[in-house]
Amino acid sequence: MNDPKKRESRWQRVLRSLLYGHNVDRDVKTKARLGLAVVAFVGIFSIIAIRLVMFAATSEGHGGRRSVTQDAVATARPDILDRNGEILATDIKTPSLFAEPRKIIDVDEAIELLTAVLPDLDANEVRERLSSKRGFVWLKREITPRQQQEIHRLGIPGVGFLTENKRVYPNGPVVSHEIGHVNIDNQGIAGIEKWLDGQGLAALHMAGLATDQLQRPVNLAVDLRVQYALRDELIIARDKYKAKASAGIIADVNTGEIVAMVSEPDFDPNNPREATDPNRLNRLTTGVYEMGSTFKALTLAMALDSGRVSLSSSFDARMPLRYGKFEIHDFHAQKRVLSVPEIFTYSSNIGTARMALSLGVDYHKAFLKKLGQLDRLRTELPESADPLVPKHWGELNTVTIAFGHGLSVAPLQAVMGISALVNGGKMIPPTFLKRDQAEAERLAQRVIKPETAEKMRYLMRLNVEKGTATRANVAGYYVGGKTGTSEKVVGGRYSKTKVLTSFTAILPADKPRYLLLIMLDEPQGLPETHGFTTSGWNAVPVGAQVIERVAPLLDVAPRFDLPKADQMLLVSAKETR
Amino acid sequence: MRLLNILVIGALILAASFVYKIKFDSTLQAERVAKLRGELRREQSAIAVLRAEWAKLDTPGRIQGLADRHLALQPVKATQFNKLDHLPEKPPAVVPSPNNDPIGAMLAPLQDVTGSVPPPAGRRPQ
Repeated sequence: MNDPKKRESRWQRVLRSLLYGHNVDRDVKTKARLGLAVVAFVGIFSIIAIRLVMFAATSEGHGGRRSVTQDAVATARPDILDRNGEILATDIKTPSLFAEPRKIIDVDEAIELLTAVLPDLDANEVRERLSSKRGFVWLKREITPRQQQEIHRLGIPGVGFLTENKRVYPNGPVVSHEIGHVNIDNQGIAGIEKWLDGQGLAALHMAGLATDQLQRPVNLAVDLRVQYALRDELIIARDKYKAKASAGIIADVNTGEIVAMVSEPDFDPNNPREATDPNRLNRLTTGVYEMGSTFKALTLAMALDSGRVSLSSSFDARMPLRYGKFEIHDFHAQKRVLSVPEIFTYSSNIGTARMALSLGVDYHKAFLKKLGQLDRLRTELPESADPLVPKHWGELNTVTIAFGHGLSVAPLQAVMGISALVNGGKMIPPTFLKRDQAEAERLAQRVIKPETAEKMRYLMRLNVEKGTATRANVAGYYVGGKTGTSEKVVGGRYSKTKVLTSFTAILPADKPRYLLLIMLDEPQGLPETHGFTTSGWNAVPVGAQVIERVAPLLDVAPRFDLPKADQMLLVSAKETR
Repeated sequence: MRLLNILVIGALILAASFVYKIKFDSTLQAERVAKLRGELRREQSAIAVLRAEWAKLDTPGRIQGLADRHLALQPVKATQFNKLDHLPEKPPAVVPSPNNDPIGAMLAPLQDVTGSVPPPAGRRPQ
């Protein structure tokens, strides 16, 4: 607005007044000082204005950050659902009480007030925590909304609440061994919960990102209804036969999915303290057992698959098999030459032992290795056990392992092996997660010929029609199966009274879809079983009960127009031709 | 020049009030977003609680207990199932079709006479 010449002169005057001493024009000096003051104030105010703008811009972001930290405490976990979408484990929000010791004015008063509302709070411990100089201490995790209300009303300074996720298992102990449980910080300790943490969830928690409520739920292979029915029957069986433990698996032989798995006694994952009791461990994956005659199915499959033994071959079972100082006897001794199907249905130890010997130790070992019986079976469950394999595997070991003694495997492992024998010869690693047929095909490994699998189905069915498992002949479901009774080792010797009985059933035997394993640990003889403790008197009837109950749930239609086992092979031979 | 000053001052006031309005609105919106977010979180946790409760009420053990106490139902036997194609053929229609129904034919022309409900236009009474 002023012309440049005049302004220049004014600036010059300002400069002069700043540079020169007292002996200058006061008027000019005043003006210069005013100008300086203006410059200073403009500077200060602009700084204030800029700070204001900065506060205005960042206040929102600040608030957002706070809510994130609040959520990070509440480490969310994905829901666990069964194969039909029923909830097995989910998160709910619960308040937790914390304190900031530095902000507490009167520790004694605070303790007095808090213990009045929360009587189970340990006063000494709380005093110790509140007297510490830390910035943050937990006082009590997972309090009820009512308690929260009351404490809030007390108005103690330095005490606050955070919402946390609490894991709940609405079905209680029904699926306990599969899903496992979590600790108070919502970290998986056992079962699928631990597996989830291994899948990157733990890393997410560390980064504080596992807050999303919309995490993908995990679908297990287990069917809650089947699982419940199996557990119910096993509890009844355990009481009835006064067994130490009972366990059962139902597996889909074509996909390797574990549809139900119960090891009774189990625990309630809502009360994780129970889980550490060694009596409640999962016998099916963490226990290893000599499976007894159930293993004969593997021996027969090996013999039939080798091509050197056929269904019409026969083996001498007239005399007990002497091996060094050991003598192998038959439980249902026939004292004659037995054909291969007879060896299976009479469950002849001598016959199976001779059969295994005829193929040699190395062949036997290689076959069991191929069927995964000699290595630790790894599934999603972190709990697993190594099988107990003899260090020096001689002929005697082959003799005893042929009928299921001298080699201890996890029952789940045996289930995998036998599934492969009946599903057409493909070994599919078992899984606790939902899996479709295509993926199972991709993972499958051919271990025996389809014809051998056909023969095994026949033998299993025959055994139910006129063998050791006749009590499992549930009308309409065409069950096949193999019993197993093994004497338990007590003090280094096989006990005559303490046995482990098992029953492996396939359903339906002509085209198996499911495999059921029932296991009873030390069942007692009852008057109605005539004091017998062998599998046919306890595990088999339990298996029949279970099949009758779960077959409709598993979508297995009853059929009454099925041929006898003897015609089964003919039918299948015609079909393949 | 005075006019220019006044104009500039006016523009300044306008701009300031406009900025203030925007700021106020955005604060309002932000508050609403925060409120809705909180509401969402509350609702979600309420849903989670309800779902957990539902699952608890729906657990097979409880249902079995209730069924044992209140119902006379028994477990299904294998013989109680049957296939759809095992069902007998559909029985022949008990009511013969109206075309060869002599009485119906006699009544048809009379329907107009009774006059209870007149037949819709363009449709012959059957």
